[in-house]
Amino acid sequence: MKSLTIRDLSKTYFDAYAGAHVNAVRDVSLDVPAGEFVSVVGPSGCGKSTILNMVAGFIPPSSGEIRVGDRSVTGPGPDRGVVFQSFALFPWKTVLENVAFGPKMRGVARPERERIAREFLDLAGLGAAAGRYPNELSGGMQQRVGVARALANEPDVLLMDEPFASVDAQTRMTLQEELTRIWQERRPTVLFITHDVPEAVFLANRVVVLSKGRVLADVEVPLPRPRRWDPLVASDDFKDLSNKVLQLVRSA
Amino acid sequence: MNPALKAWSFYARATKRWPALGALVPFIPVVALWWIVAAAGFFPRAFFPSPADVIRSFGDLVYKGILPEYLEDSVTRLAVGAAAGMAIGIPLGLLVGLSWKAHAALWPPLLFFQAIGDIAWLPILLIWFGFGLATMTFVIVYTVLFPVVLNTVLGVRSVPVELHRAALSLGASRPRILWEVVIPGALPNIITGLRNGLGYGWRALIAAEMIVGTSGVGFLMFDARRAGSVVEIVLGMIVLGILWYVVDAWVLAPIERATGERWGLVTR
Repeated sequence: MKSLTIRDLSKTYFDAYAGAHVNAVRDVSLDVPAGEFVSVVGPSGCGKSTILNMVAGFIPPSSGEIRVGDRSVTGPGPDRGVVFQSFALFPWKTVLENVAFGPKMRGVARPERERIAREFLDLAGLGAAAGRYPNELSGGMQQRVGVARALANEPDVLLMDEPFASVDAQTRMTLQEELTRIWQERRPTVLFITHDVPEAVFLANRVVVLSKGRVLADVEVPLPRPRRWDPLVASDDFKDLSNKVLQLVRSA
Repeated sequence: MNPALKAWSFYARATKRWPALGALVPFIPVVALWWIVAAAGFFPRAFFPSPADVIRSFGDLVYKGILPEYLEDSVTRLAVGAAAGMAIGIPLGLLVGLSWKAHAALWPPLLFFQAIGDIAWLPILLIWFGFGLATMTFVIVYTVLFPVVLNTVLGVRSVPVELHRAALSLGASRPRILWEVVIPGALPNIITGLRNGLGYGWRALIAAEMIVGTSGVGFLMFDARRAGSVVEIVLGMIVLGILWYVVDAWVLAPIERATGERWGLVTR
């Protein structure tokens, strides 16, 4: 696990429909120390997904720098695992083959990469689904596969782009609890993008509030771990923190 | 339960058990109608043969070895032409689908030449290559090629950008993405292109055989016209229909069940 450093990151693009240049991200600087979980929260259009896409290397920044450890990011790479809102599983591969995909690209032999895949499937509570195709699974199970697939490749940084936004509310809470458990077991460096304030607070060590492409606030979350929804929703600390962040987002 | 519903549920169970039954039973009314019209004697038998006449002619032509030989000729031509059409069409479609430069350079000519349908080439092909195999092969390859290319391009374009991104962030190189993501993602469309291409190719082949005329089912039918044998013409038509049904049910449909339908990319 390595740290993620973002320095003076900006993204300007030309909006053909509006006929104008749009500053989606302006001079954002952000540090995620190794093994820390940071949530980025903000309303739609605040630039949070643009930041993640630049960190992942999917789109080039207009200016600024992104570093993983001491290496500069110039494009997509296996050092940054990505979990997508749309899951982005390969429909023509079984669950096991999906999770084994990263190791396969590294040239890991079949028995070893299947062992790795089974280990991470078990971590995500999916051992029984190994031989099935993604379209045979529920949304919640598909996203468990998405998380297992990203982790099985042992990235330095895990990037999550509203990963639980398209599953139902009950499943979402289960997935959030599982993610905190997995994070505690493995301690990956995580950059988690969401518009859901309680989710951001529940998961993270720090919540960064974004507004109109700028960092508005950086809030520490000193809640004890392991975290579970049942005690937390009733606790004053959680409510106070959530309210504080919600006020910041709403003022944005 | 009323009798009609009972009969229907019996039929549904029977066809589930013997799928061939489901392919044959719907033709019973068609053949029955044909039989009645022929037996009623509205038309002279030489003009409008009955099913029995066609079956007799079938036995006769099989016995003489003409039908099996011509059928083999036609099917071999189609198979060779389709294989060549796919060998050119799929890589070309992948290239045009993936590269903007290739798209800019090749798309307009592709649309242009697609419009000049198979048979429109025959006059010039007959001058260039004469009445022979080269002409027929060109027509089939040409006909199979365009649906395969255009559908492959569509298939490549229909692979969600997230899947490219997921593969890249899992460490896949461009060539591996082609093999692991682009080709399987485009496969349902490629099969659709192949299905269309084979359908058009089969028709073009019969037309070419009629004009080029050395052997094949198309030649059989056109030759029968010269001899005034309606029964052989009808037999040729039936053979065409059956053959297509067999190709569809035994080759294309199983591929579709094992790929796009299994993966949830195509609704059953």
